[in-house]
Amino acid sequence: MNELITEPKSESDNEFEPKILGFLCNWCSYAGADLAGVSRNQYPPNIRVIRLMCSGRVDPVFVMDALIKGVDGILILGCHLGDCHYGEGNYEAQVNYEMLNNLLKYVKMDNRVDLGWVSAAEGTYFAKIVTDFTNKIRSLGPSPLSSKSNPSKELLLNMKAIKQVVYDPRTRKLVGRERFITLHGNVYDEKIDEDEFALLLRDSLEAEYIRNQIYFYLKESPSSVKDMSEKIGIDTKTIFEHFLVLRQRTLIDLSEIKGYSPVYKVIK
Amino acid sequence: MNQNAKKVMVIGGGIAGIQSSLDLGDMGYKVALIEQEPCIGGRMAQLDKTLPTNDCSICILAPKLSDCFRHPNIKIHSLTQVQKISKKEQGFTVTLLRKARFVNEDLCINCGLCVEKCPSKVLDTFEMKMNKRKAIYLYYLQGVPAIMAIDKEKCLYLKNKNKEKRVCGFCEDVCQHNAIDFTQTDTNYTLESDAIILAVGSNQYDPTPLYAYGYKKYKNVITGLEYERMISASGPTEGHITRLSDKKHPKTIAFVQCVGSRDVNTNPYCSSICCTYSTKHAILSREHDEEIQSSIFYIDLRAGGKGFQKYIERAKNEYGVKYIRGKIAEIKIDENENPILFYEDLDTFDVKSKKVEFVILACAMIPTKNSDKLAKVLGIELDEFNFVKSSIDSPVNTNVPGIFACGACLGPQDIPHSVINASGAAAKASEYISRTKR
Amino acid sequence: MDEIRIGVFVCHCGTNIAGFVDIASVEEYVKTLPHVVFTQRNLYTCSETGLLAIKNGIEENKLNRVIVAACTPRTHEPLFRGICSEMGLNPYFFEFVNIREQCSWVHQKDREKATLKARDLIRMGVARAALLEPLEKFQIDVKPSTLIIGGGISGMTAASNLANQGFEAIIVEKDIELGGQLRHHHKLYPGNMDSQEILSIIEEILKNPKIIVHTSSKIKDIDGYIGNFDITILKDEEEIKFGVGTIIVATGTDLLKPKGLYNYDGKKVITQKELELLFKKDQFNFKNIVMIQCVGSRNKERPYCSSICCMTAMKNARYIKEKNPDAEIIILNRDIYTSGTYQETYYRDARKMGIIFSRYNESKLPKVSEESVIYFNESMKEEIEIKYDLVVLSTPLISYGESKELSKMLKVPIDEFGFFLEAHVKLRPVDFSNDGIFVCGTCKWPANVPESISQGYAAASRVTRIISKDSFTVEGATAWIDQDKCVTCEICLKKCAYKAITRDEEERVIVRTVLCKGCGVCATTCPQHAIEIRHYTDNQVESQITALLEGDLVE
Repeated sequence: MNELITEPKSESDNEFEPKILGFLCNWCSYAGADLAGVSRNQYPPNIRVIRLMCSGRVDPVFVMDALIKGVDGILILGCHLGDCHYGEGNYEAQVNYEMLNNLLKYVKMDNRVDLGWVSAAEGTYFAKIVTDFTNKIRSLGPSPLSSKSNPSKELLLNMKAIKQVVYDPRTRKLVGRERFITLHGNVYDEKIDEDEFALLLRDSLEAEYIRNQIYFYLKESPSSVKDMSEKIGIDTKTIFEHFLVLRQRTLIDLSEIKGYSPVYKVIK
Repeated sequence: MNQNAKKVMVIGGGIAGIQSSLDLGDMGYKVALIEQEPCIGGRMAQLDKTLPTNDCSICILAPKLSDCFRHPNIKIHSLTQVQKISKKEQGFTVTLLRKARFVNEDLCINCGLCVEKCPSKVLDTFEMKMNKRKAIYLYYLQGVPAIMAIDKEKCLYLKNKNKEKRVCGFCEDVCQHNAIDFTQTDTNYTLESDAIILAVGSNQYDPTPLYAYGYKKYKNVITGLEYERMISASGPTEGHITRLSDKKHPKTIAFVQCVGSRDVNTNPYCSSICCTYSTKHAILSREHDEEIQSSIFYIDLRAGGKGFQKYIERAKNEYGVKYIRGKIAEIKIDENENPILFYEDLDTFDVKSKKVEFVILACAMIPTKNSDKLAKVLGIELDEFNFVKSSIDSPVNTNVPGIFACGACLGPQDIPHSVINASGAAAKASEYISRTKR
Repeated sequence: MDEIRIGVFVCHCGTNIAGFVDIASVEEYVKTLPHVVFTQRNLYTCSETGLLAIKNGIEENKLNRVIVAACTPRTHEPLFRGICSEMGLNPYFFEFVNIREQCSWVHQKDREKATLKARDLIRMGVARAALLEPLEKFQIDVKPSTLIIGGGISGMTAASNLANQGFEAIIVEKDIELGGQLRHHHKLYPGNMDSQEILSIIEEILKNPKIIVHTSSKIKDIDGYIGNFDITILKDEEEIKFGVGTIIVATGTDLLKPKGLYNYDGKKVITQKELELLFKKDQFNFKNIVMIQCVGSRNKERPYCSSICCMTAMKNARYIKEKNPDAEIIILNRDIYTSGTYQETYYRDARKMGIIFSRYNESKLPKVSEESVIYFNESMKEEIEIKYDLVVLSTPLISYGESKELSKMLKVPIDEFGFFLEAHVKLRPVDFSNDGIFVCGTCKWPANVPESISQGYAAASRVTRIISKDSFTVEGATAWIDQDKCVTCEICLKKCAYKAITRDEEERVIVRTVLCKGCGVCATTCPQHAIEIRHYTDNQVESQITALLEGDLVE
């Protein structure tokens, strides 16, 4: 990926032309985009659209995949809340987006992904949303992960960690139940407050993120708790607890004892 | 219910006839779609864009044309006209006249080699005679069936058939599929039908007799349909707005409403569609050329259809279209052939004038040329304007049981109304057959 | 697996695309993409000529994937899929790339970048096409019956037509009797036909054994899909359940009550509907009448023309004039809407009868005081005062508030004014985009009686297309659960809006394909990544993402 070198001709004037990926739902936002065309509403030619049936189909894994590959910005557009062709798919999109947004804040990439609603009758609005988003990304400059930026190893590792978090069954189970538990209650009929659940979710996501960071660092080279704590910038006690969890999950194991410190490695 | 054996004849292959045919075909009826031109498509095929969405007319029509052509229950009878009809105990026997195409429908692949070779040029009626085509031709680019036809009146071979020496016949020489068949003749044949749907559409009023407008006298005064072809990318000027006098691109255009409509001396009725289609023309003009200033001269602004009022607001606010409540008294020209419109301002009753570079006349929708003849053949009643007579409680019925009507032959109407009536006529035909067959 | 052979057909669409995108260079570029063995440019790919070119292309080059780069898949995809089927190619091996609505038309000022974008989009399409899988459509049974929501003239027309064809129709009407708005009308233009005459259809409906009528009833729940809808209605607080194959929405409209406008009080300042009620009760006794058109319509709040009010006003004015030639009637209007053949004559005759038509301007609305109407006469350029006994306000048809609730149950859209939004304004005027659900009458847009009747027939025709056959073909792009990966956590079961995921006899979690709409929510939430959405698989989407970034490599 780092070998992407040549640039398209049109960028010879050196102005940064962001690569923007749009995920559009078939029924409202894609139709809105078509209407923009029919109405000849002009907007910047940077967006490339992937049509899906519903914004609820936009798996956070897709978004992470695109970001890691170097897309400068991602726009997810669905039907207005309440208008979803499938009922509530766009609410699912919202939940997923918020989770991802929280995670992306750790690496300051959150402002490169946006979620919005466009109806089939809003051609002009579609053009405006795309124009505004393109301008925003243009002002942010190229993604630190794009070929133009020579991405830092650390960022790449952290992004992989986030991708793993959103891929992980534990996270998905938790997020998948969010709307259900806050709306309908859990098996014990305990309805959990939305804010309370959000806090719980955030803590749990943060923990998973750190664990995955640790995992990917260990994959590069075995390390002690102390060294890892310095690398990630988190106190040794917390890191130690995460090491224990990872060991329980049989993802890492003791490699050797250096001096008095145990050094851990990834289990192949 | 086995409807397979039941047959419906649809007369007229415009959007209304197409819609009726598709609905009935899907219901399981065998449909004979009768079209007098070489291809189906009708007026809608001639339009550049449709309002209020401005989606390209042929783009939304083309799939329907193909659906009709490929439908297992629909047979298109092109170049065919109704000659005679007789009512049976149940249903009708219809005598048809198929004009010779001189091209074998099964062999022609529409490669176009013959057109290149043909030396005879003819004014193209599809292009409102603004262009020339050859004597062998495809009626229009996206036409269905996509098969050539030879114009008998203009073909050098056919005109000189009786001479000793063979004249021309280049098309026959060049055709690699042996599709040219000069031996074809006009043929009569009959079809049985359980119900009939009339969808013969309408014509545009020819404003030549309205001398004050100067149509045909001044080159820079043209009709709405002519303009429609002019702004179409596949039309005679490839979509460039061009004055006929000097090929210049006009910067000021006037659209005149109610030409031959709402006029007791010509057609007293309102043609329904002109206010909005002129608005469309004005919007599209600005899209073609940002400098074009359009003015629409009207009496009452009629925009009752879905989204029409907003369309007009958009024209005013986003495309700078000026609406002038004024009735044209006369059009003259200056030394550069720029039309000058003299009009009565209907708000102040003052007489004013305005000079523009191009004038488009929004002409009335009138019944087709042969509608009275056809009505006689079918035995159906027409109204005082020669449109098919219907009543408010049975809007798609004619006075003859088993014959239904839809589209603009019922009176001026736009595409959505035609499509609605077309489906409606299909439902009525099906109901009629279900009730009478037993 | 066979070698992947992709053919790409790039459409000029006349100048719609070619005018803003360098199609020739796009074609050259596409030739360099992996698996692409054939490319061609067409003036109009959707024309018979273009379709023939695709057929020949498939045959001559043994194509097993077809890509058309042209307009939006939302209109033309069925056509091209059909062509693939005809050539023996699975229709799901077709991929559509939109380079018109979402490229040439929206980047008209930057040919170079529009061209680059077209190339990127096609490259993404090619990557996806290589991963497409063949899918089978399948048949579902169709119940030959129709639910008609609303017993006004439009709904009754549809019911009568369907019943006369031998199909069962069930009318659900919220009022205590059938008839809808027509019950409130006095006479109908242009022939002064009594509205009761048209309403004689009610008797016919009540007698027809094929038609079941539920009055004082309301839709409570709608479940299921084309061919097999499960309906629950509430009739006098009792729940009734039944099944139908199709649904027609014919709920009609309300008339705007001009509260707060022009001193409306329902006595001296009334609506046209209230005027007709006075006629019906024979209580009309006024001499100086002012009618005001476009009350609450063609303004900022309701920027639409209700299209029937001018004729209604004239009808009532003429009726008054016929009864009492001495009556003074002035109709204040902005434009007179009398379109079509007979309406213009009706208008001309009204003028001949001495009814006065005078224009006011939107910027200077008339004022109604205790005894007179003051308005600014555009031609005289001065204010004119008219004494009146009665002011009649022509108010527009507006949507019922309940439409929104119903639209949610049916999962069909409504527009900004609350009117139902059809699938396509021009060519599918009585269809919804959802299979098996149709719309007619004034719940879609203001319409007069003959138009409402036509629409009723039209909806019946669209229904007949479906219920005259025993089965309906269902899309193949649905969800599928990999049983090896599934841990039966049941999250998908709760997420599915269509109740399409269920446990089978062996307690496995499975998808009931008929119910599945392929939205993909289940796949996105599945913790185990055990659910695939056919035609939108993870692999296919990721291939498009990868291809998007590959653009930088070429040049």
